Amino acid sequence: MRQFGYERPEYAADAVALAERPEVRYLAGGTNLVDLMKLGVETPDLLVDVSALPYEFVQEDLDGLVRIGAGVRNSDLAAHALIRSRYPVLAQAVLAGASGQLRNMATVGGNLLQRTRCVYFQDVSKPCNKRMPGSGCPARKGDHHNLAILGASDQCIATNPSDMAVALTALDAVVHVQDHAGPHEVPLAELYRLPGSDPQRETTLAPGALITAVDLPTLPFARRSRYRKARERASYSFAIGSVAAALDVEGDVVRDVRLAFGAVAPVPWRARTAEAALVGGPVNEEAFRAAAEAELAAAEPLRDNAYKVPLITNLVVRTLAELAAGS
Amino acid sequence: MTGRPTSSHITLRVNGAARQLDVDNRTTLLDALREHLGLAGAKKGCDHGQCGACTVLLDGRRANACLLFAVAVQHVAITTIEGLADNGTLHPMQHAFVEFDGFQCGYCTPGQICSSVAMLDEVAAGWPSAVTGDVAATEIVLDAAEIRERMSGNICRCGAYLNIVAAIQEVAP
Amino acid sequence: MSVPTTQRPTGTETATGRLGDITLLPDGIPKVTGDFAYSSDLWMDDMLWGVTLRSPHPRARVRSIDIGAALATAGVTAVLTHEDVPGSKYYGLEIADQPVLAVDEVRYTGEPVAIVAADHPETARRAAAKIVVDYEVLDPITDSRAAMSPDSPLVHATPTQDHYPGGGNILRHVRIRRGDPTLTADVVVTGEYDVGMQDQAFLGPESGLAVPAEDGGVDLFIATQWLHVDQRQVAESLGLPEDKVRLSLAGVGGAFGAREDVSMQIHACLLALRTNKPIKMVYSREESFYGHVHRHPATMRYEHGANRDGTLVYVKCEVVLDGGAYASSSPAVVSNAASFAVGPYNCDNVLIDGYILYTNNPPCGAMRGFGAVQVCFGHESQMDKLAAALGIDPVELRIHNAMAEGSLMPTGQVVEGAAPVAELLRRVKDAPLPAAAPTDSYDLRALPGGVSNTTHGEGVRRGVGYAVGFKNVGYSEGFDDFSTARVRLEVVGGELVATVHTAAAEVGQGLITVMAQIARTELGVEQVINQPADTSIGTAGSTSASRQTYCTGGAVQAACEAVRDGILAMASARGLSVEGAALRDGKIVAADGAAVASVADLLGEEIVEETREFHHRPTEPLTRDLGAPGDIGQGAAHLQFAFAAHRVVADVDVELGLVRLVEVTTAQDVGKALNPLSVVGQIQGGTTQGIGLALMEEIQVKDGKIRNPSFTDYLIPTILDTPPMQVQVLELGDPHAPYGLRGVGEPPTISSTPAVVSALRAATGRPLTRVPVRPEHITGT
Repeated sequence: MRQFGYERPEYAADAVALAERPEVRYLAGGTNLVDLMKLGVETPDLLVDVSALPYEFVQEDLDGLVRIGAGVRNSDLAAHALIRSRYPVLAQAVLAGASGQLRNMATVGGNLLQRTRCVYFQDVSKPCNKRMPGSGCPARKGDHHNLAILGASDQCIATNPSDMAVALTALDAVVHVQDHAGPHEVPLAELYRLPGSDPQRETTLAPGALITAVDLPTLPFARRSRYRKARERASYSFAIGSVAAALDVEGDVVRDVRLAFGAVAPVPWRARTAEAALVGGPVNEEAFRAAAEAELAAAEPLRDNAYKVPLITNLVVRTLAELAAGS
Repeated sequence: MTGRPTSSHITLRVNGAARQLDVDNRTTLLDALREHLGLAGAKKGCDHGQCGACTVLLDGRRANACLLFAVAVQHVAITTIEGLADNGTLHPMQHAFVEFDGFQCGYCTPGQICSSVAMLDEVAAGWPSAVTGDVAATEIVLDAAEIRERMSGNICRCGAYLNIVAAIQEVAP
Repeated sequence: MSVPTTQRPTGTETATGRLGDITLLPDGIPKVTGDFAYSSDLWMDDMLWGVTLRSPHPRARVRSIDIGAALATAGVTAVLTHEDVPGSKYYGLEIADQPVLAVDEVRYTGEPVAIVAADHPETARRAAAKIVVDYEVLDPITDSRAAMSPDSPLVHATPTQDHYPGGGNILRHVRIRRGDPTLTADVVVTGEYDVGMQDQAFLGPESGLAVPAEDGGVDLFIATQWLHVDQRQVAESLGLPEDKVRLSLAGVGGAFGAREDVSMQIHACLLALRTNKPIKMVYSREESFYGHVHRHPATMRYEHGANRDGTLVYVKCEVVLDGGAYASSSPAVVSNAASFAVGPYNCDNVLIDGYILYTNNPPCGAMRGFGAVQVCFGHESQMDKLAAALGIDPVELRIHNAMAEGSLMPTGQVVEGAAPVAELLRRVKDAPLPAAAPTDSYDLRALPGGVSNTTHGEGVRRGVGYAVGFKNVGYSEGFDDFSTARVRLEVVGGELVATVHTAAAEVGQGLITVMAQIARTELGVEQVINQPADTSIGTAGSTSASRQTYCTGGAVQAACEAVRDGILAMASARGLSVEGAALRDGKIVAADGAAVASVADLLGEEIVEETREFHHRPTEPLTRDLGAPGDIGQGAAHLQFAFAAHRVVADVDVELGLVRLVEVTTAQDVGKALNPLSVVGQIQGGTTQGIGLALMEEIQVKDGKIRNPSFTDYLIPTILDTPPMQVQVLELGDPHAPYGLRGVGEPPTISSTPAVVSALRAATGRPLTRVPVRPEHITGT
């Protein structure tokens, strides 16, 4: 591991000023960053510890909007009464990830920016366009069992590993960012970039940008929402496919729906095609399946990850059917 | 380079005592405990947060010491397995692990015990888990399924899991 | 001798409990307080750290190694290559074919090439990275079946065929022929089955501390399964007599076979002798995946022929095991795979070919179950398939063909003593089944998907599967794996104390508990001290092959009997009548139950100490194919057989490919349960490792490189993956074994894997011919 300096500022402006150079990283929970530093994937020369910043809050404003500080630990988020009652999909997604220990450490901001689990990205002895632009992507022909079927490029087929971000994507979360230009807001859907020809750029954040909070818009029907995750071990493992959904039914018609997929794309995948197919349509399994298939028509599975197509389809059908049954 | 020092003089509050030490900033809490403070109870099973053998408590909350830099945990109270017993009297969870044969090789045991002690506090605080049917419910019924999900961050390769569940059930209120 | 400051003798704590009592572990308290010193916890203030430079290539010639820049690094004390190995440059358990440090060629990714000592591990790692190795990279040989071809390039230019006749890359070919395998049968089923490479994944990585001694020798504190086999190999490579290489057992964080081979032992001692400083070496988790042997991946082809009534007419089997780059214990593993290829069934006509290959994949060797695990998946899959073809209940088919006392092995060996295959099967079949999966309402936590709210009952089918397996206890084919024990009886502070000393490795299985129980039982004392295991006493053999309670237990029993005889002789010399007397509760007790004398009074200041070896009944090597007609691969090669059966009930989500094991029921004959607590623990733990192989555990090797050397990518069952278990322990007694016991540790790992897969087949109707079974195999996508 490369040697590094350490600062723990008390003001966001100080943190942002410290973090302008590309060799600097913010240290929050550390559950991903410290791991990557040990692997030699991340080699910062300065860590700016953001744990002293005042971002450990979950609060509701007068309009019912819920604001979550970026420093809130995953376990506190999942245990918060507002989240559990109004956005169960978010509590479930957080609880489906990692372990009790890691959830106590990991923060909302850090979780949003966690890096892919692609084995080539994590192995510095291997080429990887994301880690070393232009070096190549061995995953396409190699081990891609858990890599992307949607949104990938010739350059990169890595998947975003977050559970929490899938739920936040479905909920139309808005991210508060502070950078040298000052504070501003970014819809979560615009935070992440598809890999295209430059997979090393994963977000639209400016260098040194600090995520300070996440807003959850009011979405009354999210009180009935659900996160379902498939994985190769019962617990304490990453998804091979997941679905976050909220469903609003009136009579026998879908009035509104939110749907996002995890572990299938370089970003948390908002299934807008499926949503469009569902809204105004009937509430039955055939419609749910047709919508999932419409979304997955764009899938480009590789040799060893085609199983994700039926997996996601079945997860969508089940999750929506359950929400419909409870409406 | 930044011109900043890459090592630090730090104070860690461990098991009720303030301990001063000089560390390279790269030193994890786990290495600081094991190699600087002579507290080898927390184990290094994977060093990447994938096994739970290094579990310690920060302000009573369980965490993986291998993914924390020592320089960054000076503001919390750290409890290790060595700090659980009270003046030579075993913590009830330590006693239960012996009584219920909750280990074989014992390498994961300090982490299992620290983890389970904090886990019971999480349940008492009403935290839900991935197997809690209704996450909005405020009362947690700590049955075997809840214990198993909540303890899944501690790997036991000897497979003493069934006895670990029994030991925790013995201590759970 | 210098002793590491944190080194505490392991297992000297006392407890209570006689043979057959539920007895808590004497090392339990230090293990729950964090005080128990594992090998990775050892510390000396002036010690240096050793690290290993490993090959990035699976096959390459080493043209040159330049250590100049590494040696010039501040803080670095030594950088060693093969040129610095004073004694034998090669080592190995059975065949010395593995270089201590690569000489002219590397044969697997991760092979040690150079070692570095420095004042900090990070300094040593950075220095190692500065070593310049000029490799001529060669195409690796990574397909074991292709490696069998006479046209294949050779992994070893000079194969070790003089040791085991094979040919080319074939390290050993075991042929077993009995009866007439050219017969035809009413019903014939064939199948091909694959087993992935499993890792022992003990939680405490390889580690140890080597301390240079004033006599020019070295003291090594080490986590191992067999101190003396390490001692022999270390001494040979150091060029020292064995008495200058002294090993002491440090705390062992699990073993499961992976500590049978040398890892860092020789390296640490080389560095200690070169630097004249204590050397600590600890592998990281990633390095641990490269630093020890794994369970052999297998490809198997089977053909079973049976009469309409289900009677097996013939079995043909070809099993190919990938041994990787070096021999390790591969010759014995393939012998086991061949011996147990048919399973615990009667069959008069067998044709078995077991091959084990050198390739440029990671070396494979011992893991719990040792060759029997792979073939058990094969033969039990075949029995299910045969049952389906015949329309016979799969358990009844097994019982119909079940081996029993007096049966013949494929090797012609008569199975002596209890062989309760039919009873074990009946017991697991007759055990009450768990409640049926609910159809109208559901408990989320009782459904697949890791109870993680993934499945809510849709697409879930229940399957029930059975399997039975067996293997040998102790070493086979003529190996005398004897054990040695010293027992001392004396009065300390007015109290009678027995001290037991062996070199046997406690790795978590509970041996030190059993040794103390034996001493308490035989000598009638309460206080028993287990002296730490080291090489100052003769060998105990390996903590493997489920043999340690048998062999070291036998040695402790023999030494206790000798001590008792000494006590009785003392009593007799003082005119007491001790004909037929025993020692009980600190007294000499006559045959009629009357107390004759207090042992403490009799001993006074005297000490009675005896050392005994225990040699089990000899076994025979298998006969080789010498071109003569008739049966081959024959002989009474095995000491004892141990049997277990499993029933697995699984709920399978056939749409998502998720599995939840509802319950596992197992029955095993242990002969005599010396410590019932540890017996059940071993059965539960072994079963869990078999579940891991069935459902998730596989080292993925591609082009000779391990793809998943981490616990995120190599998945081990968590506590949530481990189902409730009903454990039925039979104690049928083996008249040839000490106390009638039968080895316990391995059988549960053998039959649990095929039982899980059998349940998945029952639920899905899919063939599932490979383990681990992945979600897409279940869904067929």
